[in-house]
Amino acid sequence: MPPKNTTENASRRKGPQFNPPRPVKAPTQASTTTKRAPAAAPSRTAGAAKKSKASAAQPVATIISSSEDEQEDVQEADDSDDLMEDAPIRDNTRPATNLAPIAPPIPAPLLARLLYENFEDPNTQIQKGAMNLVGKYMEIFVREAFARAKNERQSSVKGGGISDGFLQVEDLEKLAPQLVLDF
Amino acid sequence: MASNDTAAAEREERLKSALWYSIGQYIDDQSLDSDLNATPQFIGALTELVYTQIANTARDLETFSRHAGRSAVGVDDVMLLARRNDALEIMLRGELERLREGDDVGAGSGGAAGKKRGRPSGGGKAKGKGKVGS
Repeated sequence: MPPKNTTENASRRKGPQFNPPRPVKAPTQASTTTKRAPAAAPSRTAGAAKKSKASAAQPVATIISSSEDEQEDVQEADDSDDLMEDAPIRDNTRPATNLAPIAPPIPAPLLARLLYENFEDPNTQIQKGAMNLVGKYMEIFVREAFARAKNERQSSVKGGGISDGFLQVEDLEKLAPQLVLDF
Repeated sequence: MASNDTAAAEREERLKSALWYSIGQYIDDQSLDSDLNATPQFIGALTELVYTQIANTARDLETFSRHAGRSAVGVDDVMLLARRNDALEIMLRGELERLREGDDVGAGSGGAAGKKRGRPSGGGKAKGKGKVGS
């Protein structure tokens, strides 16, 4: 099939357009990375608070002992800082090859709901085998998007871009047209 | 009418939120493996992309099944999605065969069909399709 034909099809298609992202409207459960660090922090601060309360509850303390308490508090803070620095260090020994056992990116019930919402005719049904296959199709789509974004990031780092290891929207912008043409 | 529209829009937003969540989980999981990280904006944009792709896929599947004179989307319709990408078609075909085998084993685990399926592989003859039919 010549490519001209495919582009014609694409332009004639009346499907929904790709909307730019609206990061402001991020749902509360947006991502786990942003939450991980704060989740660990409160327990430590609570511990520190408990500690200070305990020292406050002590009967009239001499100047020396109170200074010792302060010293202790400072050490406590140092400890928690160390722990915070340790936290983000990840175990890099995890094998990157075990792709098979991961759960699919889109749970099957959610995908089924999304498909049914987008059928024009409410009477349209979908067979179970076809459903599973669409699940695989979308899994490949998401995996491919991620792999290409990773690739895009690496090549832009080589080109002298910022290299903070964060996948950016511009990576997705570069890969999206070819990705959509391939699927 | 207006309330109907807003209800539909709200439903779409909620579905997108659910999609955002599960894709975010997946991408975070994957990026840990490759020592990367993804900005929330990246995940949001990817969610929009995937949502659009699902919507287009749904329309395509519906159209394919209508064209074949069916009202239920079948496996063949899904295979048509991969008609322009040979590698994708091979992957989907492999998955389809895997699913079929799993289906046969799963359906026959209680009855005799599962045993019949197990025997031909030991005998090393045909796939056993004919025997299952008997």
